[in-house]
Amino acid sequence: MTLTLENLGLCVQRNWIIRNINIEVQPGECLALLGPSGCGKSTTLRLIAGLDKPSEGSISLFNKDLKGISPVNRKIGMVFQSYALFPHLTVVENLALGLKVRGYSIAEQKRRISYVLELLQIATLRNRKPQEISGGQRQRIALARALLRDPLIYLLDEPMSNLDAQLREDLRPELRKLIISGDKPVIYVTHDQQEAMAISNRIAVLNNGNLEQIGTPQELYLKPQSIFVANFIGRPQINMFEPLDSIRIAVRPEDIYLDPDGIQCKLIYKEWLGQNQLLFFDTPKGTIRMIGDTALDIPSEPRITWKKQKEHHFSTKSGKRIS
Amino acid sequence: MKLNKTLIIFILIWSLLPLGWQLYTSFSTPEALTQPFIFSPNRWTFENYLQILNSNPPFWKYLLNSLIVGLLSTAITLIIAVPASYSLSKSNNRFSKLSKLFLAGSAMFPYVILFLSLLEVARKFNLGNNLLAICIPYSALSMPLAILLLTAAFKDIPKDLEEASVLEGLTLFQRLRWILLPLIKPSIASTAILVFLFSWNEYPIALTWISKSELLTLPVAMARLAGSSVYEVPYGAYAAATVIGSIPLLMIVLIFQRQIVSGLTQGAVKG
Repeated sequence: MTLTLENLGLCVQRNWIIRNINIEVQPGECLALLGPSGCGKSTTLRLIAGLDKPSEGSISLFNKDLKGISPVNRKIGMVFQSYALFPHLTVVENLALGLKVRGYSIAEQKRRISYVLELLQIATLRNRKPQEISGGQRQRIALARALLRDPLIYLLDEPMSNLDAQLREDLRPELRKLIISGDKPVIYVTHDQQEAMAISNRIAVLNNGNLEQIGTPQELYLKPQSIFVANFIGRPQINMFEPLDSIRIAVRPEDIYLDPDGIQCKLIYKEWLGQNQLLFFDTPKGTIRMIGDTALDIPSEPRITWKKQKEHHFSTKSGKRIS
Repeated sequence: MKLNKTLIIFILIWSLLPLGWQLYTSFSTPEALTQPFIFSPNRWTFENYLQILNSNPPFWKYLLNSLIVGLLSTAITLIIAVPASYSLSKSNNRFSKLSKLFLAGSAMFPYVILFLSLLEVARKFNLGNNLLAICIPYSALSMPLAILLLTAAFKDIPKDLEEASVLEGLTLFQRLRWILLPLIKPSIASTAILVFLFSWNEYPIALTWISKSELLTLPVAMARLAGSSVYEVPYGAYAAATVIGSIPLLMIVLIFQRQIVSGLTQGAVKG
């Protein structure tokens, strides 16, 4: 096991920011920490990096307890959401600072920096300062710094949330090539469920400081273990019906189809998404979302249904999955 | 836009006219000052400057004294204020809040009230007539404001930056030296100038602590000049002294202009 979080918790002024976090990261795995803002995902990352001290529980890296080990000795390559590049230093100076402090010779510093600059195709930016380059370029410098750290584990804190959607998609393959598909484990914090599903082997969903579910993207999508996970994973959002006998039924929009024997409903409006369309129906069970083929001709008062085995059942009391 | 320009010109005249007048006076003979419209070969003169520079001790001696005191007080203040404000900006417990309150209080305290008791201190510890000793009250009096200004500057640095440097392996001293101090350079420059100005202009403490004429600082020396004779006020010499006394300040402001301006606007815009 590479990284093990055991019963991890952090308490600040009698509030538990996170609690009972148990996660094991496999060798070479990319684990996404996913959740809404304030759920404790960045806090978990900071605890692993050693920037904060846990109130309870333990963190071990390659079977070595990290308690009392300083952040620098944990050998962690971290990319901050803000990139945290030093604004008064040029790109090369930014990268060289850590190497210098850790005692590399000048020749070795030069060799390593040239190597990562080539690797990330940013050699032309050598002597620029962070404010003189674009967001995507800053992101690459931040990645380069993490690579130069030669870490045991990578921690990426929402590394792409400050970039526009186009750039994010462009950078994804690069990130995968350089860091994620390597043999070192990666912990990737994000609030974007699509990014988490696209990039990681497993996802840990956090809510209010608790671990809701951990599993592969497929497991989370097909078998969400709680109402929260069902709502959070998958766009367009899952249809949650009003509770009946303390059971809440949910159906994904793509599992709903037109059927002459289905429930009577009324088309409210539709969103054209390109490869398909998102339809909103007014039904006795509330508003239902359905993904349909663009060629589909929708009557104004259609009948819709879904297969029984596509239903997800949750207990209203605990919010957990039943069966 | 036009109103703006008129306003700027007005403010310029408002603040520069006294300086211009002083400059004019320093180059005028006493006759020219009492009769502004005479045209004679005696209209302009260097006599005032010569008189000042040839007095005993020569005037540049006071300039040097003030410079020593100013630089030393600034250095002492910064050496103590930088670490103090760094730790104040980091901690957020009750003790640090209380210290900030005390600092703000003492920054606003009218120091003139203190000078009598300071005189007692000087007598007790034999600190009178000593240029190095006078730097102690100067830096102590500037300290609260300096700490408050620098604390604000340290707080403006994004937390991520320091944490990134911790992860890179920089020790506390290396972080200060390579990351934090370069980032707050503008604030350090403007704080240093405030401290320097205070000691450059300070009068009551200098007056009471120093009596030897070769150790006087500029403000006291100038006041002596003005009161040197019962029968006349040597306007010309006095003006020449002020002109010479303001040259070092002008030079400092010109050199550090960029830093001062960016220090003043720092925190106004997130950058």
